[in-house]
Amino acid sequence: MTGLHALRPGATAALGAPALAMGATFLAFGAAVAAAGLGLGWALGASLFVYGMAGQLVLLQAGAAGVVPAALGATAANARFLPMALALAPWLGRGRRRWLALPFIAITPWAAAMRVLPHLAEPRRLPWFLGFALVSWGVAGLATAIGHWAAPSLSPLVLAALLFTNPLYFALLLAADLRLEGPRRAILAGVLAAPAALLLPPAWGLLTAGLLGGTLAFLIGRRHARR
Amino acid sequence: MPGAELALPLAALAMLLLRALGLLVAGALRPDHPLIAWAAAVSQATLAAFVALAVVAPGGAVAGIPLAARLVGLAGGLLAFAALRGRLLPALALGLVALLAVRALLQ
Repeated sequence: MTGLHALRPGATAALGAPALAMGATFLAFGAAVAAAGLGLGWALGASLFVYGMAGQLVLLQAGAAGVVPAALGATAANARFLPMALALAPWLGRGRRRWLALPFIAITPWAAAMRVLPHLAEPRRLPWFLGFALVSWGVAGLATAIGHWAAPSLSPLVLAALLFTNPLYFALLLAADLRLEGPRRAILAGVLAAPAALLLPPAWGLLTAGLLGGTLAFLIGRRHARR
Repeated sequence: MPGAELALPLAALAMLLLRALGLLVAGALRPDHPLIAWAAAVSQATLAAFVALAVVAPGGAVAGIPLAARLVGLAGGLLAFAALRGRLLPALALGLVALLAVRALLQ
């Protein structure tokens, strides 16, 4: 059976670039929550339990618009969790223990796991994911608290640089995936579909672009495979 | 802001359901099942669209940085990533330095 030491490889992988990219964004989020006049409890609740930056930002910005629009908007903005969980689940094993991963399915752990888990022996996959996920989750909470506390001393430029760290990090991960045919197709289709997001409200735009681009890439891939 | 107070637990519950649905459906499927392949393509395309939008049409504080600086930041990070054979941390740092340098030049 797996003890705590089995979590270590994933936990170690999470420290470094993933923790930095994630910490920077959640720090900026904590500062934005403080600037909006909401408390540390709300900031931590959003970071740890919504745990998806697009949805968190919608929740923060749409909070004044009413309960249902804010909750619906946040859910739409984070709807990628469904396809991400679908894509990840087969790598977490068939046992009941895969449900331990439930609260941690978010972009950063997902992107790392999809790169690493297929190359690990099956018994090591779930502990690797949980190790990575627990560190990421802890970093997200800690950075949110620091950002909330440090908000008054962060200039707009520092905030902007912090917020830019996250897309830059994902751009690097995607660049590494361009070598593989399937992911390359999905990435290019996603970039091509991105302008569609500009025509829709922010909460729905990303979801639509992803569905459009991803489905197109999937269909083209099936066609190629049949030839 | 009472709206935000109530919307938070609702949204958190919805996120949990989205994740649970994915785990429930896919737990019984093999990684090469078409549904899984479709979901992976949609996830990856969403991530790519997110990056493209965050660089070209960002909101919030990032919008205050000129487009040229954002593009150079992205290009600098990617070039460093290629030159350093996939080392993430230094590539991230160099991308941010490029972003801030071009922004300072344009000021």
